[in-house]
Amino acid sequence: MTFSLASLGRPSLVAALALMLAAMALSAWGGTKKQSAAAEAGRRALTLAAGFVVLAGVALVTALFAHDFSLDYVTSYSSLALSRGYTLAALWGGMEGSLLFWTMLLCGFSAVAVRRRRGDDTLLRTWATTVLAGISVFFLVLLIWPANPFVVLADPPPNGTGLNPLLQSPGMLIHPPLLYTGFVAFSIPFAFGMAALLTRRLDESWLRLTRRWTLFAWSALSIGVVLGGAWAYTELGWGGYWAWDPVENASFMPWLTATAYLHSVVIQEKRKMFKVWNLSLILMTYALAVFGTFLTRSGILSSIHTFTEGPIGKWFLPFLALMLVGGLAMIGSRLDSLRSENRFDSLLSRESAFLANNVLFLAAAFAVLWGTIYPIIAEAVSGVRLAVGPPFFNSVFIPIGLALIALTGLGPLIAWRRMNPKAFLRMIRIPLGAGAATAIALAAAGVTSVGALTAIALCSFTAVAVGSEFVRGSRVHRAREKLGWPAALARTLMRNRRRYGGYIVHLGVVLIVLGFSGASFKVERSAHLAEGSSMVVGDYTLTYEELVRGETGEKEIYQANISAARDGELVEALTPQRNLHKVQQQYQSEVAIASSPIEDLYVVVTAIDPDGDASVRAFVNPLTWWIWAGAAVMAIGMSVLLSEPSPARVRATSPARVAKPAVATR
Amino acid sequence: MRAWAVASALVLLLAPAAQAAPEDTANRISENIMSPFCPGVTLHDCPSQQADDLRERIRRWAAAGIGEDRIMERLVAEYGEEVHAIPPGDGGGFTSWLVPALVALGGGVFAATLARRWTKAREQDREREDLRARRALREATPEQRERLKAELAAQEAQMLGGVDGGGLQT
Repeated sequence: MTFSLASLGRPSLVAALALMLAAMALSAWGGTKKQSAAAEAGRRALTLAAGFVVLAGVALVTALFAHDFSLDYVTSYSSLALSRGYTLAALWGGMEGSLLFWTMLLCGFSAVAVRRRRGDDTLLRTWATTVLAGISVFFLVLLIWPANPFVVLADPPPNGTGLNPLLQSPGMLIHPPLLYTGFVAFSIPFAFGMAALLTRRLDESWLRLTRRWTLFAWSALSIGVVLGGAWAYTELGWGGYWAWDPVENASFMPWLTATAYLHSVVIQEKRKMFKVWNLSLILMTYALAVFGTFLTRSGILSSIHTFTEGPIGKWFLPFLALMLVGGLAMIGSRLDSLRSENRFDSLLSRESAFLANNVLFLAAAFAVLWGTIYPIIAEAVSGVRLAVGPPFFNSVFIPIGLALIALTGLGPLIAWRRMNPKAFLRMIRIPLGAGAATAIALAAAGVTSVGALTAIALCSFTAVAVGSEFVRGSRVHRAREKLGWPAALARTLMRNRRRYGGYIVHLGVVLIVLGFSGASFKVERSAHLAEGSSMVVGDYTLTYEELVRGETGEKEIYQANISAARDGELVEALTPQRNLHKVQQQYQSEVAIASSPIEDLYVVVTAIDPDGDASVRAFVNPLTWWIWAGAAVMAIGMSVLLSEPSPARVRATSPARVAKPAVATR
Repeated sequence: MRAWAVASALVLLLAPAAQAAPEDTANRISENIMSPFCPGVTLHDCPSQQADDLRERIRRWAAAGIGEDRIMERLVAEYGEEVHAIPPGDGGGFTSWLVPALVALGGGVFAATLARRWTKAREQDREREDLRARRALREATPEQRERLKAELAAQEAQMLGGVDGGGLQT
């Protein structure tokens, strides 16, 4: 028998567990007794453990690519016919593999986050090491016992059963890794927050040290959530992008609390307020991220995504409970040191806007949580099975979403601390006018949907409000430094990346909301078509020209060639498919979408009869394109935010910056 | 999110003259019931073949002029109360709305109270702050004063766009 790397998998995990336990003990002891040698040894043990976890990950990936069907996991989630990309995706296609991937990210991020840096806070870092090692221990225990990805089959089959065809989509190569990256990266601010509580170093240094991690985690999670929507849109074939299914909710809840955290952190840094609140928010965010992992991996909620039902659910709940109770108890015991150093000056202030933002995001997160778990609670209490579906979530989110988008525009117009109402009126005049003009124009154009009208009007209000911030900033640079508009704009952006990068993200959000509002105008039609016959959807006439059959190693292909005409003129040729995946003996539809900023024509074949007749579902989805465009704008804003030099470096160079005042003094 | 679809559906329902096409009625029904075939998603969003067939049946009922209420009754009779995508507004189902509404209200009131209390306490704080600042300024060395001036300038540059009484430096 030849040596296989896979045989190293489980031993590596055991070694990592031993090292993580050592890291936890050493750093805790080092932190308590102020023994820097022990603390440093703990940090190195954590780094070494991370190496072993990565080795285990490499072992599993190698086994997947080598088609080593002696491993149960490889047999269950891959096959000889599976392409290279999707073979890699099989790493997170099943429960055990995805937990290994989670743990790999966790240990890797931890090792990077606790590395030694000039001028950092050693004690904070030491206790963060303890917390991170503790979390890693939990996941390693899962991987070694109940969710072992290296289970060996006594009688290896010649081929595997392959990956679920639904997961064989380009989106699946990046959507789960991004979500996991987001979930896991929140471990770092969480651990430093807990370390701040443990050490009573409750100033802003833990926030500063983890600011970039928070941004990174939030960015990955945001893009991950959007890509999940894009995957649903292009792959599932029901013409929409968000079904409020429990697994989507599981990724959305931590995003909501994280977004609240991202905003309220600004108040603590600027005004030294909201300390308890921020610690609670990061605790909530991380708990929800772990809860999300638990929801998707325990099988407690059945959903289209919950393709695994495993024995690990009972492990997650105690862990979650320990985390929440421990975290809250610690916040409670430190309340005296967590008092605000400042007060609200006025209700008309940026602080109030941030507070309102937090209330709305939290209400949204709670509504999603409630809707997601309510069926379980109701069944446990009264034995009645009932469902809480998209209509509930939509009706909760319309008002909250509208309020948030309005606040996105209002926030930047309001000054910190206090503001003269007259000045406020002067600031709001132009954006308000733009919003009103949009509403009037839409009503005149015959838009009757109140929801869409309000949403688009608010989008225009907010876009103008945020845009005017750029204009104001650039105007000052133009005047002071005699720059042209583009240069002044660039200067504005680069001088304060945090602020203007955030505004770019907000502009992306505005576009996304614009895309959502398009759903009011969507048209959907279904028909059973024989070759040569037609159907009408919106302004389009779709003609089923012919059926084309084909075959690859993986699947039998049935492609319906459909032409779309508008006003008698051919505008699009669409080729939706209905394919039989051979290994799974499962039919899978491939959607055809003709996308434009105005509207998407979306066609899916839900069945093909033996005689060649096709069941066709067709949608006209106005403005959907803007959702993806908005996400791209958000991503640009995120890169601007992340390009800000790390706080440690800023501090190292700040005397120089102060010495040469860049702009004219008074 | 088909959030606006629901809103527009409501508007359409309320508009007296609007007569929805049977297809649109059928689509709306399928968006408001859970799929008996795929757990956790509406009939509208369910990709399975059986869901396709059920959607087709609903379309035929709607085309035959059967009202939305009657169709819902048929579906409930066939698949039970849990086909409702929103728990019906009586008994246990009520809680699904009440609890989040109460929590949101409570959160809002709590935040508002907090903000008001903080706002009231601001006067004394500001006096104390001013006093401290003035004392610090008196005791500052010339170098410190120079640095303060430079930092204020840098801060001002950062706060570009602040308005009357807006900047932190007030």
